Amino acid sequence: MTLTDVITTGWRSGDTKRPPLFLVVSAVVVALAAFIPVVYLAVRSAGSGSEWVDLVFNANTASIFGRTFLLIALVTTISITIAVPVAWLTVQTDVPFRRVLSVASVLPLVMPSFVMATTVIEVYSPKGILQGWLSPFGVDRLPAIYGLPGATLVLILMTYPYVLLTVRGTLRRMDPSLEEAARAMGYGPARTLFSVTLPMLRPAIAAGALLVALYTLSDFGAVALLRYDTFTSAIMIQYETSIDRTLAAVLSLVLVVVAVFLLLAEGLTRGSGAYHRVTVGTVRSARRVALGNWKWVAFGVVMVPVVVGLIVPVGVLLHWLIRGLLNDQHLLPLLVPARNSLYVSLLAAVVTVLAALPVAILAVRFRSGLSRVVERSTYIGFGLPGVVVALSLVFFGINVARPLYQSIWLLVFAYGVLFLPAAIGSLRASLLQVSPRVEEAAMSLGSSQWRTIFKVTVPLVMPGAFAGGAMVFLLTMKELPASLILSPIGYKTLSTSIWSAASEAFFAKTAASALLLVFAAGIPTAYLTLRGHGDDSEKQKREIDLEEAAR
Amino acid sequence: MRFPWSKPTDSSVQQTQSGAVSNPSLSEDTGVIHLENVECSYRGSDRPAITGFNLQIRPGEFVSILGRSGAGKTTALRVIAGFEQVSDGYVRVGGQLVGSSFLHVAPDQRRIGLVFQDYALFPHLTVEKNVEFGLKDLPKEERANRVKPVLKLVGMSGYEDRYVHELSGGQQQRVAIARALAPDPVALLLDEPFSNLDRQLRSALRRDIKQIVAETGATTLLVTHDREEALATSDRIAVMGDQKIEQIGTPEDVYQNPVSAEVARMIGPCELIPGVYRGGVVVTEAGVFPTRVTNGTSLSDGRQVLALMRASELEIEPAGDETQRTATIELKEFEGEFSEYSVKLDSGTVIRVRKRVANGMEIGDRVRILPRDDAAVIVFPA
Amino acid sequence: MSYVAGYRRVLVKLALVSIIAITVVACTESEGDGDSESLVIYSGRSESLVGPLIEDFEKVSGHNVEVNYGSTGPLAATLLEEGSNSPADIYFAQDPGGLGAVDALLSELSQDVLDSVPSWARDPENKWVGTSGRARVIVYNTDMLSEADLPDSIEDFAKPEWKGRIGWPPTNSSLHAMITAMRQEWGEDRTKAWLEGIMANEPKVYAKNTPTVAATAAGEIEVGFVNHYYLHRFLAEEGESFAARNYYTRSADPGSVVLVAGAGILNSSDNKEVAEQFLKFLLGTAGQQYFAAQTYEFPLNENAKPANMLPTLEAINKPEIDLGDLTDLEGTQDLLREVGALP
Repeated sequence: MTLTDVITTGWRSGDTKRPPLFLVVSAVVVALAAFIPVVYLAVRSAGSGSEWVDLVFNANTASIFGRTFLLIALVTTISITIAVPVAWLTVQTDVPFRRVLSVASVLPLVMPSFVMATTVIEVYSPKGILQGWLSPFGVDRLPAIYGLPGATLVLILMTYPYVLLTVRGTLRRMDPSLEEAARAMGYGPARTLFSVTLPMLRPAIAAGALLVALYTLSDFGAVALLRYDTFTSAIMIQYETSIDRTLAAVLSLVLVVVAVFLLLAEGLTRGSGAYHRVTVGTVRSARRVALGNWKWVAFGVVMVPVVVGLIVPVGVLLHWLIRGLLNDQHLLPLLVPARNSLYVSLLAAVVTVLAALPVAILAVRFRSGLSRVVERSTYIGFGLPGVVVALSLVFFGINVARPLYQSIWLLVFAYGVLFLPAAIGSLRASLLQVSPRVEEAAMSLGSSQWRTIFKVTVPLVMPGAFAGGAMVFLLTMKELPASLILSPIGYKTLSTSIWSAASEAFFAKTAASALLLVFAAGIPTAYLTLRGHGDDSEKQKREIDLEEAAR
Repeated sequence: MRFPWSKPTDSSVQQTQSGAVSNPSLSEDTGVIHLENVECSYRGSDRPAITGFNLQIRPGEFVSILGRSGAGKTTALRVIAGFEQVSDGYVRVGGQLVGSSFLHVAPDQRRIGLVFQDYALFPHLTVEKNVEFGLKDLPKEERANRVKPVLKLVGMSGYEDRYVHELSGGQQQRVAIARALAPDPVALLLDEPFSNLDRQLRSALRRDIKQIVAETGATTLLVTHDREEALATSDRIAVMGDQKIEQIGTPEDVYQNPVSAEVARMIGPCELIPGVYRGGVVVTEAGVFPTRVTNGTSLSDGRQVLALMRASELEIEPAGDETQRTATIELKEFEGEFSEYSVKLDSGTVIRVRKRVANGMEIGDRVRILPRDDAAVIVFPA
Repeated sequence: MSYVAGYRRVLVKLALVSIIAITVVACTESEGDGDSESLVIYSGRSESLVGPLIEDFEKVSGHNVEVNYGSTGPLAATLLEEGSNSPADIYFAQDPGGLGAVDALLSELSQDVLDSVPSWARDPENKWVGTSGRARVIVYNTDMLSEADLPDSIEDFAKPEWKGRIGWPPTNSSLHAMITAMRQEWGEDRTKAWLEGIMANEPKVYAKNTPTVAATAAGEIEVGFVNHYYLHRFLAEEGESFAARNYYTRSADPGSVVLVAGAGILNSSDNKEVAEQFLKFLLGTAGQQYFAAQTYEFPLNENAKPANMLPTLEAINKPEIDLGDLTDLEGTQDLLREVGALP
């Protein structure tokens, strides 16, 4: 080893375990952007001086705390209980109309929160539609749906698809030989399910459950209409009535703490397993479980959430629409809001996925303390009420980025802050499927880290990018509070149209806009479900199987 | 390496080093790949995967590293490729220092061709694009000139527009080799390239690789746990024990003269039975055999040793009236030209013996074990 | 995986479609974006209600108007965040509470604007005017009750005979305004007693006025405390068979207090002249007639008459309360929290 060696070859260059600088910088920038709401809350809360101690530590807050946690716990556990069997039935069995059921069972996700709540009330309230059908049977009043039961029902219907999607994705990719090995060792189907399949689903369930919990934490529409007071209710009351931003900010910070706690909890369940296939070759497609006589029972089981969460609400909307049309109600002009919704949702999807890319790549390929913090901090926006995020961006826009204020870009920014975790989750799942060997192969062929990321990693996470983009698209389409505050003046979207009509009891107009939104958002949802995380490997697996057989 | 597109040269190694301080005498001395006293730890642990690792590969040589799984041989390969950092020692490729405790040249700067166990082909690119991937610095017209011949070399002509998932395992591996060779690398590293293929395919591909390597004069390092593979393909074998190389030599040499029990176990099927050395012979439960020593140690009388029992070097005879140092035939496997007998010693140890002629010895017979042709048995200090 | 290549194709198509869409949108985007000639209104009143009126103003005045529709509360919060950088010229609120919150941001109005409405319907500090009246009523189910069954005063609903028959939206700002009026009229103790009585009657809780009215007609509750105009919306949508009607209290108590929606001009506005024009339009005959006929509210300008099915303002037995006195919302909310009506 000579001095010339040292000079000509450089000093500690090209450390493959350290991520390229541009990746770290872009990921940190994204995380900082997602942190704007927290900064805003800190600034606003500072105005309360020492009052905040009283505000936070009193009996009222404690009871709200309890109620919120109770709601989250119930919604999360029941959502998982619904989603896992439905996922299994629609992926791995031969239940009738499997593909239709797959899409339909995810569709409740596209319902805006307050639309779902309103229809639930319309149907199940003590003197609602259901009671009307049952009255010939002597049912005079149904038990009150308001409060915890109603809020739980509505939130479950809206959030179980999160778990459904993540679990479906994992089930589709799962190597069937593990389960087959268990069966060969004498484990019956039920025991295999519990000892082999479910443990492997744990990360997917946890990821989906996190989204369920954070959404429940942030939701306002449903809990307000169903009259169950959670943290968001207390925050919103401040904004709606006494306009006390300080108190609202303090409560929101407490909510952030709760969100962080949820994140930590999910992080603990993650573990450090490698999910990319370590065994090589192609995975054979799993044979579908034949249900035999249980086919129609299974069908019924899957249909329950579909009926309650999709068919009934859509039915109510149609009822309103038809009744209103018969009474000569005018419908709002819908074409412009629809166009605007599609445009801004598309924009949000693209921007959010692009922002999520560096964070996901950093989190999966270059795991470190920093990358974990960066990734987790982006979830906070998802747990905050839309109003808070919107106001924080008003604050940011007015004080820092004046030209952006009330432009569509600030709105897109808000959607990004709100829905970044959806994109990150999909990208992560996709990236975990890619073996690091492929990237190493690229490097051995002379590709710098930069080039490898662009020419190899990014193309390979395309499926995850599309799935993430689809998810952000539909979440943006139905988002309301941030849209109301940050939309450029005069910029109408479908969701603001729905709100505008609903708040003044124009049911037909509400229904028309809502149905259009469900339809428009249903398309990416169908795509998300059928393509899954883009692992349409069934077709390919079959091709390889044929070849193997021929040799 | 000599490819159809290579310009004639007296040292293709220097030719392909771009911007390097090329020093012919250096590369002659140190070889194309040179690991000197290299130590490298597993990620996140202090325990070294390899330590005091020395290996020199000369231009045009085909060297195998043979070792058990987890012995660190893959680490050695990754160190050469640049995916692991060394904590001690020096790594030189093409005469140039690329790795040491203070220096690490990125893998994309090292011009080393890699073939992975799971092929690691780019699923989103066609075969042609896969092979072309490393040729980014060449003008477009040049690339086709490389892709076609190299695909022909591996027997995959005509598959340019296929996607990876449309190919079988063996075909994928061929494409992986073509891809690694296309950029005319300094050396070719193969990480257990055949372990995912079935037996027949394995031998076929093995022979093909040998041929390709011979044709192109590629300096090759093969890492494997399969002894057959190592023995059949290599100019030299490096047998790896725990963390370091136990023995390097030609296949014949290593096979015939393993320097330790460890190496012996890895290089061929055998049993090692305990015995006592007494003046030129070893006294074991299986019999008394003349000895030889392969690692130059001198043994004193009464020394506890392990005797290497290889099926092909032993013979059995009916024991007759002998009762001491006899064994019972437990199993007989007729394999055409010869039969392989498993004979069980009194202690329960089973030794295999190969006999050319089946002379009516049956299961249950008591036999004596003798060295074939009075060949000496290798012993190692216990 | 050729599906990845398939994704590439979809991505290219998507990109092309997006580019086309963006270009189309950009070209068809309305002019007047950030046009300083435009009047910018932040409206807590919904588009379906006031949109047509604003369009009328545009036609009549020739000025361009841009409206930011939202909830009164968050809009006020937004105005506060924006401060002096706000692009808003006018804040059009559903109730005086919202206007009170942004009081510091509003500028004094000219006398002739102020004189267009009765003195009780405007800010004592002259920073905002009411634009239309909304009466508090008790909506009741016509199948189960007749007007004769209802007590003279809202105070009587606190009596135990009404247990389980009442519904209300405790977070609604109009309800808060009514309770503030009670505190004015009756004093703190009597109001608190009334609230405790109501709470003892286990009222059904609703998020807004609309579901309260719907529930009343459905028979889920027999009476509800709401604003008067929701009923008329339902009547228009569902017809005369809708089983609920409004009851204006026979005695002059806070149960029939008339509140107002109102508007004010922002200090930060650089378009104050046009803003004042707009206010005058709202308070002129055309505007007031619109409120009467289209939104079923009470016009404040004496030159306009309310819709046929409504009583006139004079006919309502409202208490003598200055809306300017109803600014202590915090006190009302504290009281509501005390009795457990609010979290």
